[in-house]
Amino acid sequence: MQIRKTRKLYDAIVVGTGAGGGMAIKTLCEAGLNVLALNSGRRLDPAKDFRNHKLSYDLKYRGFGDPKKRDQYYHIENEYSDGLWEHGITYTTAPGTQWEWPRCHAVGGKTNFWGRSAARFGDIDFRAASLDGFGADWPLTYKEIAPYYSRVERMIGVCSTVQNRPSNPDGEYLPPFNFRCLDYILQKGCEAAGVPYLPDRHAQLTRSHNGHPKCHYCGNCTEGCDTGSFFSTPWFLLPAAEKTGKLELRTDAVARRVLVNQKGDASGMAYIDRKSKQEVEVYGKIIILAASCVETARIMLNSTSRHWPAGIANSSGQVGRNLCDHLYGTSGNGYLPQLLGQPSFPDNISSAQIAWMPRWQNLENPRQEKFIRGYSVYPYGGCGDYPWYSNRLEGFGGQFKRDIKRYYPTPVGFYCQIPSLPSATNFVEIDPEVKDVYGIPVARLHFQWGENELLMWEHAKNICHDVIKASGGEYWGAADRPETPGYSLHETGTCRMGDDPKKFVTNRFGQCHDVANLYCCDASVFLSCTDKTTTLSILAFTLRTCEYLIENFRAGKH
Amino acid sequence: MAGQSIERRDVLRILTLAAAASQFPGFKDWAFAHDHSSDEPHLHAIHQKQAAPARAETYKPQFFTPEEYLLVAHLTELIIPTDDTPGAREAGVSEFIDFMAASDPQLQPPFRRGLTWMNAHAIKLHGARFMNLSREQAIEILSNLAYKNRHRLGEEDGQAFFSLIREYTLMGFYTSRLGMQVLDAPSLKQYYTDSPACPHVDNREHRDLKPKY
Repeated sequence: MQIRKTRKLYDAIVVGTGAGGGMAIKTLCEAGLNVLALNSGRRLDPAKDFRNHKLSYDLKYRGFGDPKKRDQYYHIENEYSDGLWEHGITYTTAPGTQWEWPRCHAVGGKTNFWGRSAARFGDIDFRAASLDGFGADWPLTYKEIAPYYSRVERMIGVCSTVQNRPSNPDGEYLPPFNFRCLDYILQKGCEAAGVPYLPDRHAQLTRSHNGHPKCHYCGNCTEGCDTGSFFSTPWFLLPAAEKTGKLELRTDAVARRVLVNQKGDASGMAYIDRKSKQEVEVYGKIIILAASCVETARIMLNSTSRHWPAGIANSSGQVGRNLCDHLYGTSGNGYLPQLLGQPSFPDNISSAQIAWMPRWQNLENPRQEKFIRGYSVYPYGGCGDYPWYSNRLEGFGGQFKRDIKRYYPTPVGFYCQIPSLPSATNFVEIDPEVKDVYGIPVARLHFQWGENELLMWEHAKNICHDVIKASGGEYWGAADRPETPGYSLHETGTCRMGDDPKKFVTNRFGQCHDVANLYCCDASVFLSCTDKTTTLSILAFTLRTCEYLIENFRAGKH
Repeated sequence: MAGQSIERRDVLRILTLAAAASQFPGFKDWAFAHDHSSDEPHLHAIHQKQAAPARAETYKPQFFTPEEYLLVAHLTELIIPTDDTPGAREAGVSEFIDFMAASDPQLQPPFRRGLTWMNAHAIKLHGARFMNLSREQAIEILSNLAYKNRHRLGEEDGQAFFSLIREYTLMGFYTSRLGMQVLDAPSLKQYYTDSPACPHVDNREHRDLKPKY
């Protein structure tokens, strides 16, 4: 098939429009660069595509999903967000590996549906290796990245309180969500168990902010927000970029590989147009990969040439390696008898993400516990969309219906967020045989939970049991096993940053050591997931990377 | 201060707020873009009615035979009866179950077998099909299927079927508007001006609360 080549030479080509891609696009356009953005899928129309205000009986299968499709759904996908998650582009797993890889291919990616927890990383994360001897330090300190966190928080609006915990640095915050009944009860139980229970750092607007309306607490955040009251690329970054007139956004463009010139520098991108299936080449002075951790690595590993037989910018052999993920699992659940028979309350605002129990382990002494580093826990519960707890109650009839009502405000549960340590067993490579529907070799995942994270899982289950009991609750149990790897959507590590080009793919600014005009602006550059979520850090690091890139561009280096 | 939920009388206030909100760039483009004929702002649930179900006797089932369908409706009513609050019958739960069975071939054998079992069991115990039993007889049979401490050897098929139809009854009831109203589900009142806050300011441990239900 003929390859279509575009004449124009863009200043920068950005692959991906998630948190990293979106921030790169906005920052570069506002600095006057001509930017071509490539997005794998289509643009969303919130009026049609976000069904967050639909009630269950508005949906064909009441929200339970079409029986013919629901087995293929990712865990995060459901009848509300059906059609917005990638199934055409497949992936494989090595024998013995389980991996779930939900990708939202629409413009904005996962930022359309994310959990909105937005805490800063701290030196406890950047300097973890110096503290406990495992792995490598990040090539920067909290002091260097803090101003970027502040600028991002001011841009997007994050609500929380000042908590004075260096492991969980404070930022610039809008007023927090108010605590619900279950929050106060669990907070007291946590206090007795020696665990912090605090307002989450939440990228949701409790006050209108920079022209974005404040949240009206409808509760269905993770099905997409049609008022733009929490950060997403389409709402918060693309409009500013488009206003500059410097952005060309191509949708349904599946990135295949980075093109190189005679010297082995990046010269452009080859992508497949989803509709025509035609391959297209576009050229740019700078290439930014922001396709998300695993996909960015896949693109680089597929970008082989005589200069880069192991994949572009991969002289270290580390592209795709050091893959880390958050171990997620229901670490405990039960109910609070204090709330039996109480009137219903809107506990499910913000998809029930109000509070969290930020890492409290190994803070003073990095080797206090049997595991190193630490994890956090998110509580949830109360009056929800559906009375799942009814499967805990026996019977039928009028009393059963009354019991379901009595118990409605009472259920509580916890899920843990545990970072995996980098390991030789955890990496992504290119499958030697399998290609996707566009003819592009697929990613093959290798992943096992390691001992450190499994020790944390056991620890989390014990703590959550103790918290429920100390809260005066009745304990029902915990999940048999953690969720499948990939579930958290917080992968990191495949293009990790560091000063030594032999051991790290990118430098402290996310610039590839081997190829100066190739940058990575997603979580692929992070050395660890930490106990916190990745999106805020992706935004902050990308802002910093782009300002460095712009300096280089203006100095004629690209 | 806890947020106030929206009631019909607050429609005017919301229209005002919506007018203010619509000053935000981008918001007006499609935040209200919904296929409703009125100019009212998107009030999440007030106008979202659910059609009343057909009477079980006249409804044309997609999967069940008419006789099976009547038994399904009867069982759902026993599981979630109408009393001082609506029950499965008014919420059209049997229509939901019929639709889910018609959509999912994997559900069809267990439902059909289970309904057959119920009739055979009723005939064995009382010489009549399940629909013709007295309410007391029906409840006695279901109680032996529902409670683990009343489970009897040889009735495992019935226990499994009861578990299945109970689960689907709950699914159909609590995703219906009537069922959500029985729960007073927060999803029905989706607009708050402020972040709702625990009202028990002097009793954060929530000790000795008087139950309302």
